[in-house]
Amino acid sequence: MQELEKLKVELKNINSEYSKIKDIAPEKRGEFGREINARKNEILAKIAEVEEALLDAEVEPLDITAPCAPNEKLPTFYDTLAGSEHPLMTELDRVINIYQSMGFDVMESRQLDDEYHMFDSLNFPKEHPARDGYDTFRTEEGLIPPAHTSTMQNRALKRFKHNLDEGKNIAVVIPGRVYRNEDVDATHEHTFYQCEGVYVSKDCTMGNMLGILREFFEKYYEQKLNIRTQPGYFPFTEPSLEFMIEKPKSLGGKKGDFLEMLGCGMIHPNVLKMAGINPEEYHGFAWGGGIDRLVMLRFGLKDVRNFESGNLNFLKEF
Amino acid sequence: MLISLNWLKKYVDVKVSDEELVRLIGARLVEVEGVIDESTKYNNIVVVRVESAEKIPDTHLTLCQVNDGNAELTQVVCGAPNVREGMLAVWIKPGAIVPASVREDAPFVIGKRKMLGKYDSDGMLAGADELDFGDDHSGIVEIDPDAAKPGDALADIFELNDKILEIENKSLTHRPDTFGIIGFAREVAGILGQKFEAADVSELGVLRSAAARELAPSAHGDGPDGRGPEADTAGAIKIMIKDSNICKRYSVVILQKHGEIKKKYLTWQDTILSKSGMRPVDPIVDATNYLMLLTGQPLHAFDYDKFVAVGGSDKPVINVRLAKNGEKLILLDDKEIELNENDIVICSNDIPVALAGAMGGKSTAIDENTRNIILESATFSLYNLRKTQMAHGIFSEAITRFTKGQPAYQTLAVAEKCAEMLKDGFEIACMADEYPEPAKENVVYVSEAEINGLLGTKYDNNLIRTTLENVGFKVAGDFEVKAPAWRTDIHIKEDVIEEVGRLLGYDNIEPTLPLHGTASENMMFALKSRVRNIMERFGANEVLTYSFVSEKLLEKANLDIKNSYKIVNSISPDLQLVRQTIVPSLLDKAFVNQKIPFDEFAIYEMNKVYQKEWGMDAENVPVEKMRMGMVLAERKTKGAAYYKAKYYVEKLLAELNIESEFKILKSDVAEAKPFEKKRAAEIYTDGELIGFVGEFKNKVRNNFKLNEYLAGFELDFDKILEKAKPTREVNIVSEKEKRDLTVSTDKTYGELVAKIKDVLVKNNVEAKISPISIYQPDNSEIKNISVHLEFLQKIDDSLMRELEQI
Repeated sequence: MQELEKLKVELKNINSEYSKIKDIAPEKRGEFGREINARKNEILAKIAEVEEALLDAEVEPLDITAPCAPNEKLPTFYDTLAGSEHPLMTELDRVINIYQSMGFDVMESRQLDDEYHMFDSLNFPKEHPARDGYDTFRTEEGLIPPAHTSTMQNRALKRFKHNLDEGKNIAVVIPGRVYRNEDVDATHEHTFYQCEGVYVSKDCTMGNMLGILREFFEKYYEQKLNIRTQPGYFPFTEPSLEFMIEKPKSLGGKKGDFLEMLGCGMIHPNVLKMAGINPEEYHGFAWGGGIDRLVMLRFGLKDVRNFESGNLNFLKEF
Repeated sequence: MLISLNWLKKYVDVKVSDEELVRLIGARLVEVEGVIDESTKYNNIVVVRVESAEKIPDTHLTLCQVNDGNAELTQVVCGAPNVREGMLAVWIKPGAIVPASVREDAPFVIGKRKMLGKYDSDGMLAGADELDFGDDHSGIVEIDPDAAKPGDALADIFELNDKILEIENKSLTHRPDTFGIIGFAREVAGILGQKFEAADVSELGVLRSAAARELAPSAHGDGPDGRGPEADTAGAIKIMIKDSNICKRYSVVILQKHGEIKKKYLTWQDTILSKSGMRPVDPIVDATNYLMLLTGQPLHAFDYDKFVAVGGSDKPVINVRLAKNGEKLILLDDKEIELNENDIVICSNDIPVALAGAMGGKSTAIDENTRNIILESATFSLYNLRKTQMAHGIFSEAITRFTKGQPAYQTLAVAEKCAEMLKDGFEIACMADEYPEPAKENVVYVSEAEINGLLGTKYDNNLIRTTLENVGFKVAGDFEVKAPAWRTDIHIKEDVIEEVGRLLGYDNIEPTLPLHGTASENMMFALKSRVRNIMERFGANEVLTYSFVSEKLLEKANLDIKNSYKIVNSISPDLQLVRQTIVPSLLDKAFVNQKIPFDEFAIYEMNKVYQKEWGMDAENVPVEKMRMGMVLAERKTKGAAYYKAKYYVEKLLAELNIESEFKILKSDVAEAKPFEKKRAAEIYTDGELIGFVGEFKNKVRNNFKLNEYLAGFELDFDKILEKAKPTREVNIVSEKEKRDLTVSTDKTYGELVAKIKDVLVKNNVEAKISPISIYQPDNSEIKNISVHLEFLQKIDDSLMRELEQI
């Protein structure tokens, strides 16, 4: 306390020194002012520090091992009815469970990765314009918060390669958070969730890929669906496709109302090679699509920004 | 890219409806983002002859009587200087919409008016800008009398009853050949199962003949021998390519002026340029733009005499090289740019005169006095041009095509075609072609079985062969597939399989399910799912917050910003740092919710975090950790929130069958930093630190503007996963003995419980201990702690007496 008093006196003294400025030669006034200001700021910082320390010193220590403070009631939970789960996360669990029931292992995608996994291992030629299409963020070190869950393909192939040696297939899905450097509006977020799928065997076909995807979407939306494809371009699949479903009637869809759900294709031989898998012997397919969009369609949500808003008005609906 | 269906149909015989065509293009070539229907855009717009034109005194206006093919003449007042008797003009009838305004919110409808209070004026005579054919507003459009007669609908003359496809360029990144209408039409023919034949041979004739003709090499080195009349005349042009990686081929045609190109009438080419999103400018620029839209090959015209003057030589010396850092160049748009070592420049001798592929330079720009032209047709490295595009912000139709990697096979032929189009004003003086390493033919071997094996189809040999041949592949045997010169993207089997699958329609592939094996559960997802259920039961709310946070947020939470990875191209300062822990983001959201207002809540998130301190993992990427953070807040100032947060974490861990122990907070890691050491604890299980729980420093709480009743925890979920057990041993005993115990003590609750346990162990009995209350009279150091004991066996009173003595 005494220290604080002392500092306050000092501050007062400094403040009074300002009046001396009129006695100082005009050309030296600037320097004088700067000097006083510096001293004043120093004192103010010290005062803040001391005040904070005093405030902290007043903090009553607790018996951290106790269940409650003396003379207070034992704590309870908030009302169960107030509790909620995040819709993206519960739906992601559903997605995972559906794929698991179809024989897919599950890995989670990283949230900070490198150029090798994000592009090189996916057959993007160095400095190819196709890299621009992903609007990636980068850190000072050149690391990349991934713009797609495909960043995990190389790892997934390597991790489950032993399946092939054991005469089994590779079947894995990789959900995770991804990032794009784009402006946010009702239908665009810079942060969103995707789910990647990777399947490799000796004799799988594009027909199998379409079959698995249709099966997934029919299970997810709990009804028969019409599907459609259009050619796409991804350096890591050949051929590459966009996969669409006809918006179900029950979700407000009209006939011919097709929605792009994901990109997919047969894994490029170079991608298999880079994971140590012989493309002469094995081939595979892969896909990746947004979870946010899937969930928005299911619940008829209009604004993607709600998901990361942390706003309980929205979250308590789920 | 915009594609006119009418133009497209000149090259391919479309027998299906437009709707079906658009669907097929979408399903088998590229995403069609939209279709602009122009079928009514030029309704009620007709050709008229101006039968008389009288100047209205003291105005710039002319009183015209126009003939629209009907017996009666119509009076129109026209303000254009070029209106004259006898000309064919374009008349927008009263009630018609001005075409340039059709897509505006309030389209402009032409009416009948009285001008200057006395002259009736019905409709208007239109200028090019009003018809949406460019920006020219200097006069009205004139129609060639050989092409039309009064009364003809404008739409019929120029095929304006059209649909325009808006094509999503991104999915054609690897298909530079489709960035010209010919290449696009070839694909459409293939999709429709037709062999691609040019509908109009005059359009393509030159391309064919030029491709077949042998050309002399340029004067590079010792000079050519000058074969044929069109070959380079010994050393007239010198082309030097420093590195064939930056420029595979550079062709030029030198044009000499011998007359004027008269441009009097609106042409079909003007309408095509407009429909494709470009603007008619002047005959030379229009010809180069038209050919680019036709073939995908951009052209550039230099003023020959300026070019030679800049270089200081008597013949053009064209030097294609990388720029030096700091070199300067003034572009056509008068902007001076500083070049860098990735830019490719065209130099006259060694002086840069153009930014290759992007924009010409001012010093060699053509103008109305240009006598001789150097017409450039070349290909450049797409990698360099991409950097140029980014560095100088140039996004033109030309660079869009170059950055797809234009094939080199047609450069000279396109330049020649351009010369032909300009023949009224210019003649070819000479040509040169530098093509140091001609592209090799790509040959791929693939079998019917491999194609069907990958696609899951049963296409027969003939169908596969015809499908490929339709779009220019040469197929021999079963199958040796030779890619045409424009398909520089065909290298491996899968590329050919894609062509077959795509052209025949992926939608025709039958979806089938492979047999599947069994998968094992992902334990982390399973854990999170379990926690989600538990926390909902506990009345808590799960949130998701961004992985990127601001410096300010970390500072508010007392964290060191240097421990965060920093995003260099962040959207805003709010999203610049990768978060190190979960709790600070929750404090931020607690403020949002307290303001709404919610009086009490517990929000939590399970997500990944990164700290620079943790370094790299075995794969040389940053170590990542899964964390759970929770913050509970109430709009009140009384009470020790610590105990509620502790209760939450203790019960959560108990549900996961993890025993927890709470110890004085000493750690100084990032996770611990927001917490007040006197009112927070380290959480241990099996002697391992698994997290932190407690109230926050006054400063932190004030920084986030939150009420005093505030606490939270942060748990290491990788450790939790290790420690969590799916089940626990359940002891069910029929006879339980329940006793309450109150002890007066100055010890902590933990110490007391430990003592009770000691006594129980000593007496060889087991009991579940749970708290009832802690009472502490004012000004006393002694607390009365009451606990409830649930014994799993009968006990005698002596034990209770012993316990009471502690």
